[in-house]
Formats: sequence, C-alpha cells, structure tokens
Amino acid sequence: MADRDVEKSLKRTVRPGINTIEITAARELHARTVNARNPRNERAMQTTTTTTTMAKSSASFFKEPIPRHVCNSANNPPCKHCGRMIIPSPVATYPLEDNPSISINNWTITSRKRPILNSEELEDWETNKLSGLGALPEMIFGNNYISIKNVEKNWSIDFRALDALSMVNLEDSGIRVSYSKDWINSKLKTTAKEVHEDDLFEISSESLNIVKNYDWTYSTEYKGTVINYNDNDVIDFKTDNDLVLPIDKLSKPDQILFFDDMILFEDELADNGISILNVKIRVMNERLLLLSRFFLRVDDVIVRVYDTRIYVEFDENKVIREFKQYESEYNDLMANQKRVLAHSRDPKALLRDSNWVVEHIPLVKRQCEVIQF
Amino acid sequence: MELDECLEKLYVGQLLPEITIRALCFKLKEMLVKESNVIHITTPVTVVGDMHGQFHDMLEMFKIGGRVPDTNYLFLGDYVDRGLYSIETIMLLIVLKLRYPNRIHLLRGNHESRQITQSYGFYTECLNKYGDDSRVWHYLTDVFDHLVLCCIIDDSIFCVHGGLSPNVQTIDQIKIIDRFREIPHDGAMADLVWSDPEDNTGTNNLNGMDMITSNDPEVAFKQSLSVPSQQFQVSPRGAGYTFGRSVVEKFLYLNNMERIYRAHQLCNEGYQIYFDGLVTTVWSAPNYCYRCGNKASILELYSKNDYYFNVFDEAPENKINGLSQSSTSDITARKLLNDYFNDDNDLIDNDGSITETDVFSEEYQSKSASSRRVEYFL
Repeated sequence: MADRDVEKSLKRTVRPGINTIEITAARELHARTVNARNPRNERAMQTTTTTTTMAKSSASFFKEPIPRHVCNSANNPPCKHCGRMIIPSPVATYPLEDNPSISINNWTITSRKRPILNSEELEDWETNKLSGLGALPEMIFGNNYISIKNVEKNWSIDFRALDALSMVNLEDSGIRVSYSKDWINSKLKTTAKEVHEDDLFEISSESLNIVKNYDWTYSTEYKGTVINYNDNDVIDFKTDNDLVLPIDKLSKPDQILFFDDMILFEDELADNGISILNVKIRVMNERLLLLSRFFLRVDDVIVRVYDTRIYVEFDENKVIREFKQYESEYNDLMANQKRVLAHSRDPKALLRDSNWVVEHIPLVKRQCEVIQF
Repeated sequence: MELDECLEKLYVGQLLPEITIRALCFKLKEMLVKESNVIHITTPVTVVGDMHGQFHDMLEMFKIGGRVPDTNYLFLGDYVDRGLYSIETIMLLIVLKLRYPNRIHLLRGNHESRQITQSYGFYTECLNKYGDDSRVWHYLTDVFDHLVLCCIIDDSIFCVHGGLSPNVQTIDQIKIIDRFREIPHDGAMADLVWSDPEDNTGTNNLNGMDMITSNDPEVAFKQSLSVPSQQFQVSPRGAGYTFGRSVVEKFLYLNNMERIYRAHQLCNEGYQIYFDGLVTTVWSAPNYCYRCGNKASILELYSKNDYYFNVFDEAPENKINGLSQSSTSDITARKLLNDYFNDDNDLIDNDGSITETDVFSEEYQSKSASSRRVEYFL
C-alpha cells in the first residue's frame, strides 16, 4: 500500500508540463542577465556598495592605496582597478554559483555559498561522517566555506561546517532545557499511575532515559581547519598568549575589497534558543580579518559565545589566531542587565543579538597563536 | 470594512488598521470556537506546510497552487516568526478564512504561541509595524488559541503540525484536549505541534527491521516493541519526543488511517518521506529565512491516492531587480532591517517615518532579503 503510494508520487513528478521551479529559475536567469548588461545598473550597483560601507566619508581622508589585488572570479561585476570586483554577489550565472575569490601577494582568499545540504548529503553526514551525533542541526550549510591560502607555502586555513561539527562533544553536555525537570517528572508520575499490560504506547520509566548522548547544543571550539598541502613542510600555529590583535590597524577605514558573511550551521534547539556558527571575513589592501563566532543561547539556562579571529598582515606574512570563550548563566546575564532589559520594550530582541550578548558576559578563556611565514 | 476590501489591501501587501484587525480576530474566534479539535475535510485539497512570514512566497504559492476559493487549502501551521512579513501573512489567511470558511483551513503550529513569538520575531514585528502601545500581537495570539489542532482528509489521512504523542492513541483522545490556551510544554497538545519522526530503519540495521520478521501487522508491532528506536524517544534536550515507525503503524492501525502529513521540519527538497510514505513532511517556505537556499512544496491531493508535490522556489520579488535601484531609500530600508533584528533603541524615534516606508518596494526587498552589505566588524 505505502510502496504503491511512493511509486505513484514518483510517477507523478515526471508528468508532462513545466515544473514551476524551472519557470522561476528561467525568470531569475533572465533578470540577472538583463541586469548585468544594463550599464545603468552597474553605476547604481557601485553607489550601493559605497553607501553601505559605513566609513565612506572618512575614507576619503586617507590616501587611496595603489591597487595590487587580483580578482579571481570571472563571475563578478567590474571593479575600478582590475576590471573585476568582488562585492556584491555575482550576476548572470546558471546554475547559480557564488564563489568569489581574491588574491593579494601570495595570499588567496576564496569563499563559497551554497544552499543547505540536500537529503542525500544529510543522510551521508548522519550515517557516516557524523554518526556520533543523534540529530544534526536543522540547517547545515555543508557546502559553504571560507579559505585563506598562502600559495607559496601551500598552506591554508579553512572554515567548514563538517569540521566544526566533528568537534562537538559526544558526551552528555549536562545542559537541559529549562522545563526539563518538570517534564520528566510529569512523565514519571503518569507512568506510575497507569501501567497497562498491553498498552503499547506506554512509556516506561526506563525509556525516559536519554538514549543517545551527545552535546545537543552543538557547542564547538572550532578554530578553523589548518591544511598543509605539502606534507614534508608542515606549518602550524605556535601559542603566544601575550600577543594581541592590532586593533588600531584594524580600526582604520581602509577600503574593503572582499567581504563575505555566511552561516555554517544553525539550529533553534526546538524553540529553546539558538545555536549558530557564523563566519565573516573582510579583506583590505594590507590585511584581512576573519571572525568565526559560535553563539549559543538556551533560554533561561545559558548563553555562550566562542570567537575565533584570524588576522593576516600580507606584507609581513604573519597570521595571528585568537580564540575567546565567553559564557554566562542566563539568569546572571538577566540580573546584571536588569535595568537595560527592563527599559527595553522587547528585551528578547537584545538576547537574540550576539554582539550585545558578548559585551555583557564574562570572558572565561583566551588563547592566542601565531605563524610567521 | 468589507472582507473583500480587506482582501484587496492585503493582497497588495498593505497593513490593515488596528481596529479592523481587532474586529476580524473577534469574528474568527467566534467561528473557530465552534470547531472541534479535529476537523474532517475531503479531497481535492492542497496541503501547505510552514510559511513563517514569507509573505511574497505565499503569494507566489497562491499563483502556483491557485487562488482561494478556486483551490481548497489546508495549512499545517507556523504562519508567523522568522520571515519579515508575519502580520501580512497571518492577516491574509485570517481574512481568507472568514471570507471562505469552507475553502481554507488553518491548523495550529508551535509558533502560534505567545512564548515562542516573543523569541522568534513576530512580537518584535508587531511593535515595529503598529507601535509600542498597539495590541495587535494580543489580538492575534488570542486567535492562535482557537486554531484547531488536527485535520482528517477523506477519513484516511491524518494531518498535524508536528507529530504523534504517547498520550494520544486514538483520534477521540485528541478531541477531548482543551485547546483554548497557550501551548503547554508538556502533554498531548505540546507533542502534536512539536514532535518529530525518527527514521532509523534505513540507516541503522542493528536497531532496525531485522528483528521484525512477521508480515502480520499486529505481530510485527509486538516484535517492534523490542526495538527502542521505533518507539517514542526522549530528546537529549531533556524534553520532547521523537516517534518511530512502530508508533506510526500502531496509530494508523488503531484509527484506521493510511498516512500522516505533517510540517515542522525544514527540508532542502521541499518535502521528505519517512517510513516508506507513512509519514510525509511538507515544507512551504522557500529559501527559508532568506538564506537557506531550499526549495518548498505544496502537496496537491486530487483524491485519496492521487497526489502531486508541486515544488517551487523563492518568489522572484525577493531578489530580482534589487541591484537596479538607486540608493536613496537604502538607508531607511537598512534602518528598518536593523530595527527588526537588533532593535536599536535609538531608532524608536524614527518609528513614524519607518511605518511610511513601502516595505514592498523593490529596494526594501532587495536589501532585506539578500543584502550583502559590507561591515567593518572587529
């Protein structure tokens, strides 16, 4: 019976007629092509870009550096310098592909954004690659990545969802949602009350134990994946906790040549908060900064931010990696910020903002490493 | 205001005045209060999953599936939160329901709740669009308390937002739930909107089907009892269930049903089939949260066993033409977006001008849906 239904549904999908999805794709392709060829749009595009860079006016005080970067992606619209430009997203490609890349000196930065995993890929991750995890996050952007590569040394540091999720603990995290105790207790009560012999639906107290233990908050201390393409010349970070990131240099409103911001995975913890790993990067003429942030909020229980920053100074061939862990009990944060939260008409909105949260919870660990090529 | 007049406004994305919303909500509550927890309908009907405030995608969906009342619709819940147009979405559905009560049916999802909407955006959206003193959110969440929980199509297909509950073995047990309340954390009502299927049979044979040798469904049930993954399992979060194959088989057998349609879980392809078709997830929010890149689908049921998953992509309004706009209204649009996500308090003063912004303008669309702005983060 059921099999027949499935078969039927398969048959139906190949029925004659145009699938709506093809129409949409065709429409999109057409619009993108038209947009890309209209010179008026190009100008508009550039003004959009400059107005969205917040430091537009102040940037004009600085002398424009001599451009030296190379844009590697043929799909991106023209840039003043090399006829190509990275920001914003590419136009007129089919199938849609968003894979920009830029090179400065011997550094090449590439990123890719793709949709969430499809069911085939998900199954593969679930059964093979990440079989230890009971359930995977709701949204996994498993084909997204940002890669910072030193072409000369054949060394790179990549940020990818699979590697991040591989670092999730396979033990009980000890964290439970706020109403867990009440929930379990009420189940125990009902099972004690009405135990029927042949009641197949009854939950025994035994089965209230959690079957598969793993850290369901997907907390990960992922700091990027270091890849040495050249086996006999292994380069790795050396710890130096006294190092600090040069905030003065990074605060300069240098023109951003390449920018990307992507999510690697996200889960809403069955409406109990959020667990999200986000990576963003900006590349300027002389340096780049990447921030990979894991943000966890379990409502009424805990908030956590794990920040990894990668800083590269191109001319010095120096890479600094800083890792910071922030954590607080949810109630402590609420108590400390009582005044602010009470004044806000919508306090939950603040708690959704990782930038606000990270400023108001304590730093519990900091680590700094460096590579000098 | 006449219902048709409201519909005209809503279809072009205008907001209704607060007082109208209040009246409409009152009317709908009056209508819903008479309904049972479980409604019975017949094919043909089109089943729609989560929409999550993606108003343009809903309009696109009506273009694809046919307008009400030309097509009958069953919505499986989760109309609000996350998307930027929850109010537009739910109000259009409410007025359609009032205008064509037998053509469209709305089930309750886990996001049709006071607590959840405060965390995931709908509450914020109500304040932003109607002001701090407005009671729109209260009117609408009161309506949510009246939405029905389940639907049965042609006496053989069970539809619900989430899934099954250990407290519910028969349909009659659903009928006696007191549904006119906030969704609790616990019990049958919670499970119906929250639980997820857990399909281990295809992936892990140690727990799976090898232990079940009988073809007789009743004997097979008994055998499957020794297979933990086919039962209800407690989530590692410490609350909530997943339900396995034998739970589904047992429920269908006891209630003389053939299949279950549900929503609640994102899937890249727009739908997902579990347990060889006994359970199907229908997902109707394309490019979920404007960034997942997933497809969406609606399930068109022509008769009990004749159906078609109509898969569709994001509405073109969400991204096309965005780049061709001048940037004058960019800043307003970005403020709106920032206000929505970050709720900067210093933007409160601008509320007046913000509500005047045409949120359906292409500039706003392009900025909000696929904005790739540059940010000097540290």
